[in-house]
Amino acid sequence: MTSTRPTRYDRNMMRLMNDPRGRRLYATATRRRLVVAVHITLTTALGALMTYAYLADEEPAWPFVVMVVVLLPWMVATGAINGATRGLLELRERVLDERQSAERSHVLARAHRVMTLLLATTAAGLLVMGGVDGDAPMTYAAPVLIAVLVVHWLMPLWVAGLMAQDEPGEDEEVVV
Amino acid sequence: MSEQVHNRLAMVRAERKVSRQKLAEAVGVHYQTIGYIERGQYNPSLDLALKISRFFGLPVEALFSLDPFQPLTDEAYGRKQQ
Repeated sequence: MTSTRPTRYDRNMMRLMNDPRGRRLYATATRRRLVVAVHITLTTALGALMTYAYLADEEPAWPFVVMVVVLLPWMVATGAINGATRGLLELRERVLDERQSAERSHVLARAHRVMTLLLATTAAGLLVMGGVDGDAPMTYAAPVLIAVLVVHWLMPLWVAGLMAQDEPGEDEEVVV
Repeated sequence: MSEQVHNRLAMVRAERKVSRQKLAEAVGVHYQTIGYIERGQYNPSLDLALKISRFFGLPVEALFSLDPFQPLTDEAYGRKQQ
């Protein structure tokens, strides 16, 4: 941890991110993968509902009601991933120690690589769609842009959740 | 660069009856970082290695080494490796 003193906000966030109450949710690699998969699914559902509401001819209210309902488990899953990483991406740099700072850089670098691939695929997809139907890129530009923005925002969280490791046990075999 | 740094941290910590939490607080890191070092999943910086050594009042080479440590009984009774 750096020499800058943590603020009350930092201390509260550290306490929150290290709260042991939810640890059963992300105690093993399988459970962490499951939580990340649920989070991706819920994010996709939210995106699909948003796109439907945007593209629908009439202005239906039900997608917004369903979005509010889906948002609750989404927030729980977000909290679980943050708990699994002990707030690796949520805490300020000044309260992270050297291992956590290195891990955060590693996560961000990996997320950046995945996003680059995803953006290249999206751009290629839009170009192909433009070749087939000239109006398609313009029609889908707004939802695609929002989807890319959301994925760009959440990718580090998913990567961090998948890279998180098990809690070291007190009596396990150690490297000597 | 991922040179394995061997350490005796878990053994010394157990011998001195110091919890990971207590050691982590003393040297200013997260308690998981101590566990990662003990498991060989993270090599501490020189700064952190020196802080840990100072906490235990031991020279840094008593806790960290580039070569695997000999069992303490071998060191104490001078048995040579086969």
